[in-house]
Amino acid sequence: MRKLLDFVLGAVVALCALVAVGILLGLVYVIAQRGGPAITWNFLTEQIRLVGASGGIFWNLIGTMILLASAFVICVPLAVGLALVERAWLRHPASRRALCTVLYTMNGVPSIVLGIFGFIVFVQGCGWGKSWLAGGLVLALMMLPTVTVSLIERLKAIPSKYLEAAAALGLNRAQIVWSVQIPQAWGGLLTGSLLALARAAGETAPIMFTATIFAGATLPKGIRESPVLSLPYHIFILAQDSFDPAVGGKLWGAALVLLALVFLLNLLALPSRLKIHEEANV
Amino acid sequence: MTRALSWFFSLIALVGIAGVVGLFAWQSVPVWQQEGWGYLTGVKWFFRQHQFGALPMIYGSVAVAAVALLLAAPIGFGAAIFTAEYLPRRLRLALKILIELLAGVPSVVYGLLGILLLRDWVYDAFARFDPLSGDTLLTAGALLAVMVLPTIVTLSDDALRGVSSAQRQTARSLGLTRAETIFSVSLPQAKAGLGAALLLAFGRALGETIAVFLVVGRQDNHLPASLFSLRPLLESGQTLTSKLGGSETNIAYGEPKHWAAMAGLGLILLVMTGVVTLLGTGFGRRSDA
Repeated sequence: MRKLLDFVLGAVVALCALVAVGILLGLVYVIAQRGGPAITWNFLTEQIRLVGASGGIFWNLIGTMILLASAFVICVPLAVGLALVERAWLRHPASRRALCTVLYTMNGVPSIVLGIFGFIVFVQGCGWGKSWLAGGLVLALMMLPTVTVSLIERLKAIPSKYLEAAAALGLNRAQIVWSVQIPQAWGGLLTGSLLALARAAGETAPIMFTATIFAGATLPKGIRESPVLSLPYHIFILAQDSFDPAVGGKLWGAALVLLALVFLLNLLALPSRLKIHEEANV
Repeated sequence: MTRALSWFFSLIALVGIAGVVGLFAWQSVPVWQQEGWGYLTGVKWFFRQHQFGALPMIYGSVAVAAVALLLAAPIGFGAAIFTAEYLPRRLRLALKILIELLAGVPSVVYGLLGILLLRDWVYDAFARFDPLSGDTLLTAGALLAVMVLPTIVTLSDDALRGVSSAQRQTARSLGLTRAETIFSVSLPQAKAGLGAALLLAFGRALGETIAVFLVVGRQDNHLPASLFSLRPLLESGQTLTSKLGGSETNIAYGEPKHWAAMAGLGLILLVMTGVVTLLGTGFGRRSDA
């Protein structure tokens, strides 16, 4: 009886894991199978035509890249600043904990709330209208906790003898930051950024009111009234009101491209994550 | 210099973060003044008549998130027990990375799959209950279940791995089977972490917008007569997020009272997710960042 129970539990939990992996594989299979035929060179290099029924997603890809690049550039200095304040400058454990709590809570903020925040502040308040910069700022805010926490974790993992040796050599705190902490921890910044970018790349809610339109935008000129196209919004709009089979194939194609982009970013972050894992288990 | 720069960028970030909460609180002031608590308990939302009651949307958000947890928790805990207790380290890592990829799938892609597949499956599976369409709270909940599954698996796995293996070995050497060890040592010890996993998954489900938006039907003013009847799950509904993500956000801006009511929904959502996330991180001491 005990043996039987033991066996049954093993089988049940293995089945659960199988279901989880099965969902992932099934999902990738469905999208690849339906989207695969649509992917051609022209699909990636032409602009959208006939409300998505013809042409490609060139400017959607470019738009998504613009949003990601601007979000990355805005996010990095803020994340580095926060992580250094937490690790190097804050002295009280209580204030460190408070900062970490803020970051964790921030990570739970729904992306639509950030989107509407951007809509109020940048689109309406600053009078920018829909603008790539508004989208970049909102996405940066969304990425901030992930990047900062990843960097803090890596800073924490620096052996304390490094810091003590640097201090014993007479380096002051700022010099330790530049010559020990940042060189040792920049991998954490990279990993965190890649994971956060992967999440940001697929988000629709933060950019739908702030940065992106469905058709008729190319490269932005300036900040005011300069929206971009984007992949997630493209899929979002087409998914809602398209029963045209010609659109259908392109729609799955766009979804496949977006999925590939997100998985690629996740994959790039993998080696560094594995390395941490190996070290942690030595 | 380094110090000044660090503080400077940190302050910008903190002002931004505080700004989010402050802005929604400030912009929603008129609706709290005029409707008071009635805003939270009101069941009618007709913006042309200036009637603003948020309860049906709060119900919708909680209902879809609860359905998601009910579906995802058993599978998620099971998968986590498998990775943490049965697999050798390398395989465990591989499986975890694979499952975490599920978390990377964009919500709009989930929404697309929901529209084109899940909606029809739900409609067919429950045909004998005669739903009006496949756009139901249940559909949204099922979609969310897949989306929060990786959160539950990863955090539960971490919690289970946090139990010291010395205790496991002791239990085994006392003659307990693997299953008995799990039930009498691992699970009780990891209780807090497992609770945290559920809470954080719940918070994530509450805040998810796009996938829910596409399959929930966005039917205003649907509040069931009894909170515990299951029938409403097979009807369309509206969640806080699907309301905020809809075109009404654009319409409302510029009309002070309507806008205050929309901002109020944002504030309610912020408070709900904030409380759940805080509880979750307090429980588990680790976020899914």
